[in-house]
Amino acid sequence: MNRFSLVTGAAGALLLLFVAIPVIRMIFAADPAILAKTMVEPGVMASIFLTLKCAFFATMFSAFFGIPLAFILARWNFFGKSILSGLIDLPVMIPHTAAGIALLMVFGKRFFIGKAFAHAGIGFVGTEAGISLAMAFVSLPFLVNSARDGFSAIDPRLERVAETLGASAALTFFTISLPLAFRPILSGLIMMWARGISEFGAVIILAYHPMTAPVLVWERFTSFGLAYARPVAVILILICLVIFSILRFIGKQQRGA
Amino acid sequence: MIRVEDICVTLGRFSLDRISLSVGRGECAVLLGPTGTGKTVLLETIAGIHRPKSGRILINGEDVTRARPSGRGLGVVYQDYALFPHMTVFKNIGYGLKMRGLSTAKIAGRVKDMAKFMEISRLLERRPGRLSGGEQQRVALARAIVTNPNALLLDEPLSALDKATRSRLRLELKKIHEKLGITILHITHDLTDAFFLADRMAVMENGKILQADTPENMLASPASRTVARLVGIDNLIEGSITNPGLETGIGIIRIPEANSMPAGARAWAGIPDWAVHLLPSDHKKAYLWTAEMRIAQINFTGSMIRVRLANENGGTLQTCLSRREAAILPLSLEPGSSVSVGIHETGVSFFLS
Repeated sequence: MNRFSLVTGAAGALLLLFVAIPVIRMIFAADPAILAKTMVEPGVMASIFLTLKCAFFATMFSAFFGIPLAFILARWNFFGKSILSGLIDLPVMIPHTAAGIALLMVFGKRFFIGKAFAHAGIGFVGTEAGISLAMAFVSLPFLVNSARDGFSAIDPRLERVAETLGASAALTFFTISLPLAFRPILSGLIMMWARGISEFGAVIILAYHPMTAPVLVWERFTSFGLAYARPVAVILILICLVIFSILRFIGKQQRGA
Repeated sequence: MIRVEDICVTLGRFSLDRISLSVGRGECAVLLGPTGTGKTVLLETIAGIHRPKSGRILINGEDVTRARPSGRGLGVVYQDYALFPHMTVFKNIGYGLKMRGLSTAKIAGRVKDMAKFMEISRLLERRPGRLSGGEQQRVALARAIVTNPNALLLDEPLSALDKATRSRLRLELKKIHEKLGITILHITHDLTDAFFLADRMAVMENGKILQADTPENMLASPASRTVARLVGIDNLIEGSITNPGLETGIGIIRIPEANSMPAGARAWAGIPDWAVHLLPSDHKKAYLWTAEMRIAQINFTGSMIRVRLANENGGTLQTCLSRREAAILPLSLEPGSSVSVGIHETGVSFFLS
């Protein structure tokens, strides 16, 4: 092994340890008895399930609108495209509590959009819809950027050939572009879901209740201290680890197919 | 039949300027031009990928200028074949048939027949990534032909192949054209491909078509120096028209009576390398010019030998001869040695500057 490989390997290893040590330390510091007791607490499991569910709906909702947007960003050239791309990245840059306040100002009952939704029976303050909305807002860039990169990597001539062979633009999208960008899109979906699960700042502004797992961890930490907050965090980490390992494995299987 | 009338296309800074082109039914037309000249843009415009600013495109007499690519009935084969990497060869070939709504049984039958015709039956279950360049080219052709298109548009389909495969597939492409009688517009920058395949030829440079004619006429009477250069006429010599002929740096080249040109005008002689003979025969009348020259350089390219000749005034000529021809020449080809040279009238063209 040459010196360059050693240096790069060591740098990578240090970064991995930086991520892994706090997580491992937290998992192993948890008292198994308290962990087992926490796992059977209905409030904790309901909160974790709610978090996974809301993040899932946020991801599906964003996929429906975000994948076509990613395709447009990858394939079309138009005035203001870079501004639009910057707008997509904005939720990553602004503080998430600020994002929550911005969402509250639009989807709260004082603004016409919030009023219109309320009229249709959809409220965003203190509801599951509000949680999903906050999660979608802050994690959308992960999906759109990944899908856009996926579409950009496809040789446009594949789509052109499909059209000359008789496929409509929509059929070309569904039979050529979408399957070929599947891996980056799946990766973006997983990242977006993961980011949605971990969201705290925007969610707490829109919906303190019903309580998502990150809000529950924070609430237990401020009310009862570290010993009571840690088991919930550990359970959430373990569940997420299992789910994302399975999803990554599925993604890998698709790659091999 | 393809007819392009006064097409103008602008793509960013690149533009095609009033292109007109006609490819007769069952004809193989070759569009020849250097890389970056707009050949692919023209082909894609005919295919419906780019929309022209003005002009018309007619396929079999029908105006398709505003039609979508799917409505033109054209088969396109790109340089790197653009096979769908996530589909098997079977699905690639059957894609167009599926888009036309054919039943699964009919698709299977036609794909298998086409695979047999193209001799790729054994590849049907493979993915494109596991095929050689030659195999990919056959699959791409099969995919384009299986839908019975009005015409085939080929974008340098041989250029990504090694020399041996390229020669073989060039021959097969000609056979396919002869067997199916399909109209083909083939774009290339390769002279061998162009002269081997073309019934008609068009030469293009900087977004314009410079000349369109049969390959023979193109060689015999190129419209300009640029066309002469692009169709591979290596010796382009400029001079002044005088009474006996064209006065140039290598001497006076006799101009045959058929090429009447005004005295005093500047003109070019286009001399293909095969019209430059070493040790010209005794039929002096067939030669437009003869002189002694020095062998300046010899280059070996496979079975051919390229020889650069120079005279004391700095005038140069290039010729090429096969190794068999070189072997029977009663002289040894050595740089620096002197040799008698003649320009044979066959293939020599004259045109005004």
